[in-house]
Amino acid sequence: MTTIQQPRILGPGVNRVDGPLKVTGQARYPNDFSLPGMAFAAVVRSTIPSGRITRLDTTAAGKSAGVLEVITHENADHLDEAPATFIKNPQAPLQNDVIRYYGQYIAVVVADTQQNATAAADLIEVEYERREALLDPHDPRAERIKDPWGEDTAWGDVRTALKRAPVMIDQTYTTSDNTNNPLGLFTTLAAWDGDTLTLHDSNQWPNMVQLVVSSMFGVPKDAVRVLTPFVGGGFGAGLRCWSHIPLAVMAARHVGRPVKLELTRPEMFTGLGHRTSSVNWLKLGATRDGRLTAIEHESLTTLPMDGDEYEPCSSVSTWSYASPNVTTRDQQVRLNIPWTNFMRAPGDSQGNFALESAIDELAWEVGLDPLEIRLLNYAEVDPKTGRPWSSNALRQCLEVGARRFGWSQRNPEIGSMRDGHELIGYGVAGVSFFWYQQPCAARVIVRGDGSAYVRSAVTDIGTGTYTIMAQLAAQLLGLDVEQVEMQLGDTEMPAGTAAGGSGLTAALGSAVHDACGRLIQKFVELAKTDPFSPLADVPYEQVEVSEGRLYRRGEPTRGESLARILAVHGLDEMAADGDSTPNSPDELGMTPAGARGARFVEVRIDEDLGRIRLARIVTVNDGGRILNEKLARSQILGGTVGGIGMALFEDTVTDMDTGRIANATFGDYLIPVNADVPDVHIEFVGEPDAFNPIGVKGIGEIGLVGVAPAIANAIFHATGKRIRSLPITLDEVMG
Amino acid sequence: MTTLIVNGMEYPLDLADPRVTLLDALRDKLGLTGTKKGCDQGACGACTVIADGRRILSCLTLAAQCDDREITTIEGLESHPMQEAFMRHDAFQCGYCTSGQIMSAVALLGENRAGNDADIREFMSGNLCRCGAYSNIVSAVREVARHA
Repeated sequence: MTTIQQPRILGPGVNRVDGPLKVTGQARYPNDFSLPGMAFAAVVRSTIPSGRITRLDTTAAGKSAGVLEVITHENADHLDEAPATFIKNPQAPLQNDVIRYYGQYIAVVVADTQQNATAAADLIEVEYERREALLDPHDPRAERIKDPWGEDTAWGDVRTALKRAPVMIDQTYTTSDNTNNPLGLFTTLAAWDGDTLTLHDSNQWPNMVQLVVSSMFGVPKDAVRVLTPFVGGGFGAGLRCWSHIPLAVMAARHVGRPVKLELTRPEMFTGLGHRTSSVNWLKLGATRDGRLTAIEHESLTTLPMDGDEYEPCSSVSTWSYASPNVTTRDQQVRLNIPWTNFMRAPGDSQGNFALESAIDELAWEVGLDPLEIRLLNYAEVDPKTGRPWSSNALRQCLEVGARRFGWSQRNPEIGSMRDGHELIGYGVAGVSFFWYQQPCAARVIVRGDGSAYVRSAVTDIGTGTYTIMAQLAAQLLGLDVEQVEMQLGDTEMPAGTAAGGSGLTAALGSAVHDACGRLIQKFVELAKTDPFSPLADVPYEQVEVSEGRLYRRGEPTRGESLARILAVHGLDEMAADGDSTPNSPDELGMTPAGARGARFVEVRIDEDLGRIRLARIVTVNDGGRILNEKLARSQILGGTVGGIGMALFEDTVTDMDTGRIANATFGDYLIPVNADVPDVHIEFVGEPDAFNPIGVKGIGEIGLVGVAPAIANAIFHATGKRIRSLPITLDEVMG
Repeated sequence: MTTLIVNGMEYPLDLADPRVTLLDALRDKLGLTGTKKGCDQGACGACTVIADGRRILSCLTLAAQCDDREITTIEGLESHPMQEAFMRHDAFQCGYCTSGQIMSAVALLGENRAGNDADIREFMSGNLCRCGAYSNIVSAVREVARHA
């Protein structure tokens, strides 16, 4: 009954329901809010990577125009422990004089205007006792954490298989630090009213901020309300409760006024985490005809001194291709750096670059077409458990993509294709993305006029949650999209999960699905209490819903509208709560497969200058059921642009003397601009996935993955230069 | 006293603090928060507004420099075809850069720089979109330019 057998509203490209607000400047982001009596905060950051503060003089700052308060470790409130939420959150700032990284908050200045706060922050004088910092991941003194998540994997006998393999690839692949850099400056506007607190806050998980802030400040969870109806992007940056949030809350308590703390762009580089650099050591063993016999994948990523991070780069090697012998190991190294953190496709983006580069090297080694070798080693079942996949259209991704791209036109010889001064290269990469889902809740309410609204505390970071959930509820309640209002981003609504890990659509969608089913059941039961209702003796199982009406299956005239049922019973509205928890792979006897994809790239390399130009990209993805193709395409396009950045531009550079991020501006940290993005052909393949009731697989991240190796592989085809480090720069192509 | 003329309305402003940028004046003093701050360093384009017919970065412009200049912000567009085209082509995701993109795109039409895709890409490259909606932005601008 609430199964999606005949999608009516799902699939085609409904325009974004929040579009009118966004194209008129009316969507309000956290820094757009102002409150009466609001004061402004500016932070001061450490300028050493390790040591302690020996003197901190706030006299001049305190006397500066408009300043209301200066908070340092000498007068900060003691805060309680910040609980972990999936991963750790930073502990309270300003609790002692210890410095663990360059850019750590050491003071916050509150003033009547932003200009006064910023100017006063510059007047704070600090002296330090500097200790030697650990900044190099290969520094032997740095602490190494082996198997940090207990996910190191081994099956078969890799050592023997590698020894016996007629063909072996043994290479090291590295990726650089990247910074999320959502365009919206992360802002917390904190307002206390007695013991209750309201936060307008930039994040990807309002319930996480609510839990952490309430714990740190020792107030009940319900006393903290977090509002995030809109946020200017996240890409993972909003998945922890960063230290500026409790700073704003503390500042608001100190001055007894609402305080707005808006990070600057340079502060966004140190205050919100970044994608860790990675080293991937990869060994592939194969037969002479290119069949994998062994994969050994080890990775090294970085950690701050006081945090954790989940970045299992090697895990892609456990599910991407069939191999009878596999070993994966991850290690982390602790450094005096700002926090490493999730960034769009954590772990997978780096690990896939290594694996898909190595597979390409293997193809050349055995003389097989790079497309064919991927098809040859396709994993029909989960290679680790032998279980069937919940769905897996990697093969179709590769085949359809190859056709669209014209892969058959490729001359396999290196440097054989050219156009004037430009060498042309074709590259391919496959992508098998991780699966992730967390519990989530939603409430669906039908009003007296037959319209509906859906409430959940989750936020829409730009992926389209408002729109696809309105479509889904409309589909399940037999309404038009325009009749469903979405209310998100408020912790007073049913508790939701993170807009992260490509997991929100399945989590929230399953909760909305559950709520709609319960709601219709309530309507049917209510109708039964009305002897005059045409539905009075129709069992729930036989009820269908269409155009806002319930009716008996096969008998469309025998029914009653939702609005009429409410009217008959004198109700203004009726609500049902729904929730979802991920299914169990054991119970279903299948392995949940994340999204799958294939990338085909044409690069053009200027023979004399080494200039790398992307001519076109074909990206084909299996996202299970696509709820809205227009918005889904945008997710893939955005991911592709992120992948171009990772491949060719993005590199967060740490000065090895000071630990300072040396390029923490948009002038220096390059991300793709409009002119960097070529024609991108986007297509979807695959079937509704069997692991959740709505058949979706998250697609927020997969678009990014595989772009970098496809580009690197294309550059090799064009030039014969195998580049095993990201980003790829023209000096490497020339050198 | 400085007078800002924004979207046809006159706003007399007492700019005792000369450090106030046009961006901050629009957002904090006039309550016109449609114009966004993405970097405050002139590198991202989120704060783009049109001043006397030209697109400018309001974060690199002091409010005090704008006496009697005619400023148009996203709030001043009245159902511009560019806004409709942005929705139709899904030329935004989080929406944070969108005001700046649309103001840039509207100005681009007046600059006669929207004649082909290469030009649109080049002359829209001062507006960063981290969500990566660029191709859809090009589609939206192309469509409006063609019908202009």
